[in-house]
Amino acid sequence: MPDETTTILICDDEPSLRELMRISLPSEYSFVEATHAAEAIELVERVQPDLVLLDVMLPGASGLTVLESVRSATESRPTPVLVVSAFSAESDQRAALRAGASGFLKKPFDPEELKTLVEDLLGART
Amino acid sequence: MSRICLARAPDATWPVAARPTSLSGRPVRRLARATASLSLLTRVIAGSAMLAILVAGAFTLLLIATSHLGQSTNEQAQSRDLTKATLGLERVVNELEVSLRSFVISDADTRFLGSWRQGRVDVPTAIAAVEKLLPNDLAQRRQVEQLSLLIHAYIDEYGLPLIAIARISTSAARSPVATREGLIRIGSIRNHLSRLLSDEDSLAAQYAASAKLEAARAVRIGVGALIAAAGLLVVFGVFLARGVARPVRMVAAGASQVARGDLSTRLDEGGAAEIDTLTRAFNGMARSLEQGKHELETQNEELRHSQRMMSQLVSVVSHELRTPLASIRGYTSVLLNRDVAPADVTHYLEIVHEQGRRLEALVDEFLEGERVEPGRIELKDEPLDLKPLLVAEAQLLSSGTSKHQIEVAIDSESLPVRGDRDRLAQVIDNLLTNAVKYSPEGGLVEVHADLEIDAVRVRIRDQGLGVSEEHQARIFTKFFRGDARESGITGTGLGLAVSREIIEGHGGRIGFTSQAGSGSTFWFELPLTDRRRPRAADGSTGGEDGDRDDAEPVSLPRRL
Repeated sequence: MPDETTTILICDDEPSLRELMRISLPSEYSFVEATHAAEAIELVERVQPDLVLLDVMLPGASGLTVLESVRSATESRPTPVLVVSAFSAESDQRAALRAGASGFLKKPFDPEELKTLVEDLLGART
Repeated sequence: MSRICLARAPDATWPVAARPTSLSGRPVRRLARATASLSLLTRVIAGSAMLAILVAGAFTLLLIATSHLGQSTNEQAQSRDLTKATLGLERVVNELEVSLRSFVISDADTRFLGSWRQGRVDVPTAIAAVEKLLPNDLAQRRQVEQLSLLIHAYIDEYGLPLIAIARISTSAARSPVATREGLIRIGSIRNHLSRLLSDEDSLAAQYAASAKLEAARAVRIGVGALIAAAGLLVVFGVFLARGVARPVRMVAAGASQVARGDLSTRLDEGGAAEIDTLTRAFNGMARSLEQGKHELETQNEELRHSQRMMSQLVSVVSHELRTPLASIRGYTSVLLNRDVAPADVTHYLEIVHEQGRRLEALVDEFLEGERVEPGRIELKDEPLDLKPLLVAEAQLLSSGTSKHQIEVAIDSESLPVRGDRDRLAQVIDNLLTNAVKYSPEGGLVEVHADLEIDAVRVRIRDQGLGVSEEHQARIFTKFFRGDARESGITGTGLGLAVSREIIEGHGGRIGFTSQAGSGSTFWFELPLTDRRRPRAADGSTGGEDGDRDDAEPVSLPRRL
């Protein structure tokens, strides 16, 4: 069940999509937001989120760089990372999964599907 | 390009290996020059005619020599017959003398008169035989005539009277006077006979020598004619081989080379008319094939390029269109499926509206990109000042970014150019937007503009990511975005391509200098409409050109 202690990091340079992800998920969760890769990496280390929603195409560096940082920063207790990207070709999906993504959701996405995926990933973690 | 040498025109350069050594020399070259443009048919007919004339001439000479030889042989035979007839006459004379002397010595024994009578009968025949065989030599004829007179005189003036005397008195007939007379007469006859024989002998020897000479000449002419005919046949054969076989072999070699795919093969044109036509036709064919192949390769390369562009376009469309689509679909889904507070409904609808507008702008940009082909962008041609345009665009952009500082430095009062105001604004906007987009950490963006001798030069400098060396050559290519996608910088890869078309459409130039990590300076130049324009702005006279009336007046900026 969602609770306030669950923190989700939303990393996307598009404000409307960050907001959409936020309203798609239960309001009980705590949200932190990053607009570029460096900010995301910094928040992962500082906030230690329970789940990361990650766009691939970010200003400064690719989302996959963030993914690698998340993987090395949370080695003992892996944080699930759901990659949400407009690059939805199979090769892009495979690249994300190879880099350690827990799931892949292509843009445009259905808010309900996002909610289900996030809950599944959090449930699997607990 | 491959080149195959054929039978060449005489003035053409022969390859070293093919240089004719056996037929060198000026006369041959002159002949070759004269026959260079003749057809093979004409050459073969001319060669055959020459051969026929030579053979006929040789045989005529041989015939003449043979006829001379025959004549000499005849003369030799005639001379032999004449000697024989002369000897016959001598025998008759001897018979006459012997029978006469025998008659006198035998005391007029009449038995000996039979031979005498026979001798007298034989004399005219023997003389006629000699006369008949005489050549048309006047001296010899006279000699024979004299001989005939002497013989007849011997018979009539000596023989017959001596017989008559002997019948009466043998002693008188045997007197020394009578005997001496007879000896003198016979001696004279014999002298004439031997002179005739000796003359004839010398003539016969002369004829024999002449016949030998003629025979030797006939043999020489015959052998010479045979050698000449054989030589001409060899020359004719060589000519046919060179004139026909060699060109055919060369054309075959050229055709094989073309068949192997070397379409740059060319044959040397020239030579006989038929060969010239053939080589020209061959070269024309090879040229057409090569041109066709080149066109196909070019089209193929263009197709491949279009395909690459298309795949880049698909990739860009896939990402750029999906982002606003994701918002539209997501928010409408939330609005349809959840209970949303009225205030949020308005907010979400505004987002949907804004993202719809963004989609529309993207579609417009793609359509614009499709038009980025030389000459496909329509441009207005009106006088305008670039300075206020630069200032306005810089202000517009600085209002949209907090991380960047935008500075405009223009010393000139005005930057007069001709062109399309909206399109030039689009270029400035594009370059400024890029300067901001590619400086994600923020920084200074400087806009400079200078009046040069015949152009206005605008420079926009940023402190951003710069362009890596490997991408510099392709940065104006449609849909090319370098590392932008990986760097998370949005865009279609059309802005610079469109900008270049617009600037070049104005007769200007566009370019950049950049170093990865140290920022870039993008610049463009537009032709100055009138280099006196800046002075006109200072109050001096302007607009002297009658054809510049439409350019007047340009409202000069009062700002900055």
